[in-house]
Amino acid sequence: MNKGKIVSIHSFRGGTGKSNTTANLAAQVALAGKRVGVVDTDIQSPGIHVLFGLDENKMGKTMNDFLHGKATIREIGFSVGENAVGGEGRAKLAGQNLWLFPSSIRGREISQILKEGIDFNLLNEGLQKTITEFDLDYLFIDTHPGLNEETLLSIATSDILIIILRPDNQDLQGTSVTVDIARSLDVPNLLLMVNKALPKYDFVELKKEIEDKFNAPVTGVLPLSFDLADNASNDLFSLRYPDHEWSKALRGVADAVLATG
Amino acid sequence: MKSDILNQLQKTSMFMNLSEEALADLAVKASTRTLEKDEVLMRKGERGDSLFLIHDGWVKIVTEDSKGDELIINKCGPGETIGEMSLLDGSPRSATVIALTASEVFELKQDVFEEILDQRTDVSLAIIRSYSERLRFATTYIEKAIDWSQKTAEGDYSFVEQTQPLMNDSASNDDKAAQLLSTFFTMVRRVKEREDGLKQQLEKLTIEIDQARRKQEFEEITGTEFYANLKEQAKTLRQKRAQG
Repeated sequence: MNKGKIVSIHSFRGGTGKSNTTANLAAQVALAGKRVGVVDTDIQSPGIHVLFGLDENKMGKTMNDFLHGKATIREIGFSVGENAVGGEGRAKLAGQNLWLFPSSIRGREISQILKEGIDFNLLNEGLQKTITEFDLDYLFIDTHPGLNEETLLSIATSDILIIILRPDNQDLQGTSVTVDIARSLDVPNLLLMVNKALPKYDFVELKKEIEDKFNAPVTGVLPLSFDLADNASNDLFSLRYPDHEWSKALRGVADAVLATG
Repeated sequence: MKSDILNQLQKTSMFMNLSEEALADLAVKASTRTLEKDEVLMRKGERGDSLFLIHDGWVKIVTEDSKGDELIINKCGPGETIGEMSLLDGSPRSATVIALTASEVFELKQDVFEEILDQRTDVSLAIIRSYSERLRFATTYIEKAIDWSQKTAEGDYSFVEQTQPLMNDSASNDDKAAQLLSTFFTMVRRVKEREDGLKQQLEKLTIEIDQARRKQEFEEITGTEFYANLKEQAKTLRQKRAQG
């Protein structure tokens, strides 16, 4: 019944490459033969749908409609495997079991959600229904930065929480609070991922330092990449450039997700 | 004295393929020259029309640097050969040679050498063979150098470990191609060492977490009624999930 795992991706501040990482992780896990869903609850700055090639204008009903009982989850799910076009990397997802559940991109609906808030049980039932309906192995949730109520809900319902941070003291400070919260909410698997690491750092040492500080595994140290920045949000980088250092490290994170019991 | 010349000629790569009888013929035609300390044997730019074999003593091979100061390229001693190519191409001397000590050298002049080439087909053929052999070696070395350059550019230094013994075997003194390869090899090894050194100098991030602030922020978030409810609901949820 409850076989699918909920994986929340979070970062304390914006600009950590969270959406990009979520999309690439979900794609890698799908390529490993798993049935994967991606929920974009980063309603303040939607963007993950662009990486999966979903045209905003074609976006019909959204996760918000589903959570408020205005649509069924079947109406929301966008099959990436059946629409793998418009990018060399995306094309590799053809035939894979990967669905995107977009959030609303319309400002009025966004403010409505923010004002009304989402009930924990409502969100949880919605996510469980999504997993059951699509027979998912993993449901990724792209949360939005900071620790507001929506994000706390996502963390509370997660089986796995991946915190993405840049190796600087501001991110480390913020991450320390998120780590404490995750432990307070009994998240079974807490994984850290360092992104945008400058090459001047010794990555092995960095990983060890951060693991020691938080007593949680760092599943990957991904380099700051101008190639990745160039690619912008047009395509799934790790699929398009599988031999790039960033892609290799990202696959390590995907492996860590697949390895959680 | 002629047997000394004969011995040395045998060791010169150019004459390696010659029969003893042909070498003896060459040795007879060679003349002996003695040099005082600091005496100039040849000057850079002069027409090169003879080969010298050092029998005794030491000479220095010098050129000038950009400021006009003397720059010693090499020092040569007993058994070594100077101006081997001049016998065939007569091109100007590429450097000046000065005796470091009182020395004795054997000289083989171009016209005498050409006379032998004219009279003896076997000598001509042996010389051509030795040159083609050297050219073949040089080409092999150049190919190696190209291969290594490409590998170095890609950061692949695996050949440094794999090829060192080969270098020690083949880098003889008068083989410039082998010397180039040997120098190239040393260069790559040093570059690798410096690169490894740089890697070790990578910076370490000093992590400073303000624990008081961490505690305060945690308490601000967890101190609300919303959070208390959430924690309770999450607990129930996880228990339910654990039961399957």
